[in-house]
Amino acid sequence: MVHITVKLNVSLRKYRSSLKINEEMPILIPSDTTLAELLEHILQIPAEEVAIHMVNGIKSDMDRILVEGDKVAFWPPVAGG
Amino acid sequence: MSKRSESYGYMGVILRINLSSGAITREPLDMTLAEKVIGGRGLASYLLCHEIDPAIAPLSPDNPLIFATGPLTGSGAPATSRYVVVCKAPLTGTIACSNSGGFFGPELKFAGYDVLIIEGESPDPVYIWIDDDKVEIRPAGSLWGQFPVATEVEIKQATHPSAKVASIGPGGEKLSLLAGIVNDNYRLAARSGVGALMGKKKLKAIAVHGSESVTLHDPEQFWKATMDMHKKITNDPISFGSFRAYGTASLVNLINEMGAFPTRNFQSDTFEGAADTSGEALIQSVLKRNRACFACPISCTRVSEVTAGPFKGRGEGPEYESVWALGALCGVSDLAAVTKANFLCSEYGIDTISTGATIACAMELFESGVLSEQEIGFPLKFGDAAAMVRAVIMTGDREGFGDILADGSYRLAQRYGHPECFMGSKRLEMSAYSPRVFQGMALQYATSNRGACHVRGNTVAAELYGIPRYMPPEVMEQKEEMVRRPFQNSTAFVDSTGICLFTKFAITHREICALLAPATGIDFSFDRSIEQGDRIWNIERMFNLKAGFTRADDILPERVCEPSPDGPRAGSRALLQKNLDTYYQLRGWDEMGRPTAIKLKELGLEDWWGVCGS
Repeated sequence: MVHITVKLNVSLRKYRSSLKINEEMPILIPSDTTLAELLEHILQIPAEEVAIHMVNGIKSDMDRILVEGDKVAFWPPVAGG
Repeated sequence: MSKRSESYGYMGVILRINLSSGAITREPLDMTLAEKVIGGRGLASYLLCHEIDPAIAPLSPDNPLIFATGPLTGSGAPATSRYVVVCKAPLTGTIACSNSGGFFGPELKFAGYDVLIIEGESPDPVYIWIDDDKVEIRPAGSLWGQFPVATEVEIKQATHPSAKVASIGPGGEKLSLLAGIVNDNYRLAARSGVGALMGKKKLKAIAVHGSESVTLHDPEQFWKATMDMHKKITNDPISFGSFRAYGTASLVNLINEMGAFPTRNFQSDTFEGAADTSGEALIQSVLKRNRACFACPISCTRVSEVTAGPFKGRGEGPEYESVWALGALCGVSDLAAVTKANFLCSEYGIDTISTGATIACAMELFESGVLSEQEIGFPLKFGDAAAMVRAVIMTGDREGFGDILADGSYRLAQRYGHPECFMGSKRLEMSAYSPRVFQGMALQYATSNRGACHVRGNTVAAELYGIPRYMPPEVMEQKEEMVRRPFQNSTAFVDSTGICLFTKFAITHREICALLAPATGIDFSFDRSIEQGDRIWNIERMFNLKAGFTRADDILPERVCEPSPDGPRAGSRALLQKNLDTYYQLRGWDEMGRPTAIKLKELGLEDWWGVCGS
C-alpha cells in the first residue's frame, strides 16, 4: 500500500464536497495503482469529466504508476485569458 | 474583383472626426482591403501605417485613435461583439491594438460605420454623439471627472436611452499610461495606454446609436453556418462549460500547482495564497451571476459584489489576469481586496494587469529599501491588501506617489535606477504565465508586437490544455512554428474579423471563414486566413521597426532567464535566445528581425518600407 494525496478542482469538487478548496485529501492505495485506476476505481469519477491530471505538478500519463508520497491533482476542462 | 453597389458584412464607411478643426467627414471603405487585411485589427493597423510616421510622439495630436470593427461585428453570429482601438501606444511606443467586447462595436456598425478615426485634439473636453448619419461634437461639461458608469447614465439622458458609450475614467483624463477605454460600463480596451491618448484629445466619451443592421450577402448560408457554430460552441467543455460556469479564474490553482504562477514581482513561481483567490473561492463568495456580450452564448463575464467590510463594492470581474496581477503578483491573498481593486480599475479606467504589475514593482522597490515610506506616503509591502488597494486609488487619481505609479512599471523602475525590476518587454508588463515554465510564452512575450502580451499568442492552450495539440511546456523544439502560426498569426486573423477569441477552443478558422464568406460575398477561405494573419502580423512588425524597435527589444527580463526558485519546476528558466533565431527564419525575417524582400513580396507588401509616414 502507498500513501498519496489527491486534490479535486473546480467542478470535480462535487465528488468530495467536504473538501476545502485546494485541500489535499490523503488516500491509501494499493501499490502499482495507476492514475487511471485511481480515478475510475478508487475515486469513481467519470474519466470524461477530467481533462488535466498532474502528479507532483507535472502533467502525467494516465498509465503512470503512483508511488509513496505522490501528490495527484485533477481538473475538468478549463482555460483562461 | 467586381465593384459591388452595396456592402455586405461591412457597412462600407469610415467616419473621420477631427477634434482640432471640428471637421466630420465620411469616406468609402476601400473594399480591396477586405481581402488583404479583413477588418478590425488588420484594417486599423494598415490604416494607422498610412496615417502617421511611426516615430511620432504617442501623445502628439497627429496620433489618431482608430476604432475598428470587423465584418462579423454586429452580424448576430455567436460572440460577434468585438472591436479594437489602434494607435501608437502611449505606454510602449509600439503599435497599440486593444480589444473589447460588449455592445459598443455592434452599435457603431448599426449606425453605419466600420471604422471611426479620431484625429487632432479638442481645446476643451468634449464628447461625440453619433446617431446614424447625425454626428455632433458636444461639450463634455460636468462629465469630465466622472467615472464611466455615471458618464454613461448622464450621456444616455442627453442622447438616447439605447445609446452605447465608450469613455475614459479619471485615469485617461489624467493621461495615465495605464489608462484604457471603457465601454458598456465595465468592459475595457485596456492595454497600452490607449485611454491616455483619448484623454490627451480631451475626448471624454463617444456615444453611438444606430438603426441599421448588418446586411448579409447570403443570409441562408450565413445562418446555417451560425447554427453550426452555435452548436459547436455550446457543446464545447471549455468555451461553454468552463468559461460560462467558472470563468477564467478557475486557472489559478492549476497554474499554481504547476509552479508557473508568478509571485511577488516574478521573484518566485508559486503562491501560498493561491487557493484564497481562486475561481472556486470567487464562486463561493463574490460572484453574483453571469453577463454576456452581444450575441454571445458563452456569457463569461462575472458580475460580482463584495457586500461588507472595507472592500465593499460591485462591478464585473475579476478575471484570471486581474486576480493574479492584483493578487499573487503583489503577494495579496485577500479576495475581497483583489475584487475591490478590480472594481476600482474599471472605475478609473485603468488596465488591471499593468496596474497590478506597477504596484508589485513598487512593493519590491520599497522592500529593498529603494523607495521610502515617506516617499510613497505609507508602507507598501508585498501581501498588504489594504496598501495595494490604496495604491490603486492613488494611481487612478494621480495623487502623491500615484503620479509616478500612473506611468507604469517600466518608467518607475528606470526612474529609481533599478531597470531589472521591470517585468515585461517593450515597456508592457508580462502576464500570469511564467515564461520560465512555458517556453512558448517566453517567445510570445518577447516577440509580441504590442509588448509582453499573453493574449496575442496564448500558447498555454497547447502547452497545457493540448489545443491544437499538446506540447509540454518545457520543450523547445517546434515551439517557434507553434508560436508563429497557430497562435500569433491565427489570433491576428481572429482579431480582425469581429468574433471573440474565446470561441477558439470550440472552433477553427474554417468555421469563421464559413461565416465570413456568406456574410460578405468575399472569398474568405482557410488558406487565405493563414496568409491574412501573417500579413497583419508583419504590418504591425514593420510599424514597430519604423518606430525604432529592433532585435534588441525582443527580450525578456534577466530575472526570468534565471532558474525558478520554487515549485515542482524549480530550476527551469526562459530559454529565449535559443529559439529567437529559428523564429525569425520561420517568419521570413533576417537575423535582425526585419522582413526580407522575399517575405514582403509574398505578402504583397513590397512597397511597405515606403509606407508609414514617408
